[in-house]
Amino acid sequence: MADYVISNRIRRLRFDHNEMTQQELADLAGCTRQTIIAIEQGKYVPSLELAFLIARAFHVPLEEVFQFVDRD
Amino acid sequence: MAPLQKRAFYGLAFGIVWAIALVLVFILKGGAAAFDQDAAFRLLIDGLWIGGLIVYLVLFDSIIRRSKHFDERDKIIMDRSARIQWLALLLSMVGWIIGLSEHFHDQRQVPIVFLFLMFIFTLLVSSIAQSVGILIGYWKMGRNG
Repeated sequence: MADYVISNRIRRLRFDHNEMTQQELADLAGCTRQTIIAIEQGKYVPSLELAFLIARAFHVPLEEVFQFVDRD
Repeated sequence: MAPLQKRAFYGLAFGIVWAIALVLVFILKGGAAAFDQDAAFRLLIDGLWIGGLIVYLVLFDSIIRRSKHFDERDKIIMDRSARIQWLALLLSMVGWIIGLSEHFHDQRQVPIVFLFLMFIFTLLVSSIAQSVGILIGYWKMGRNG
């Protein structure tokens, strides 16, 4: 079992960006709303390409959206 | 529900109806012996399986081409569904091989009509298993990530 997790701040960033909806973010990142939901809930880790597209949608660097942290 | 997941539900429902229709027509029209001799019967079955296949292709092909409705996560799930498809095909072939070889063991030969029936059955199993595989994929990803 991996001893690290990839967490994200998408929900917080959406809120900070004028309460952007999941659909709006999905449209900007070029994926489905269900994928955004899965990423927010930590049930899916996106590819590097999609991760960059999500970061670009918020106009922030990648590491402000995704964090590589120890499980403990 | 993701668009592909919705299609998989429709695909499963259609696949079951399609399978029941084929089996019913086959039984009501007289089974393998009649199928072997009656060209109109064969044509009817041909129409049913080719028609069903076209519906399946349209159902899934139309969603895969629309990037807004089909992304990398859907692709992963679709690719994984091939494992379920492969397993279902393998099991159905095992069933056919054992069934046919046992049933026709004394005659030392299997009527050629069963080649065709095996193909139609395999096609049905493959189509239904793909939908099942996609639904299992979404369920597993929703549960475990």
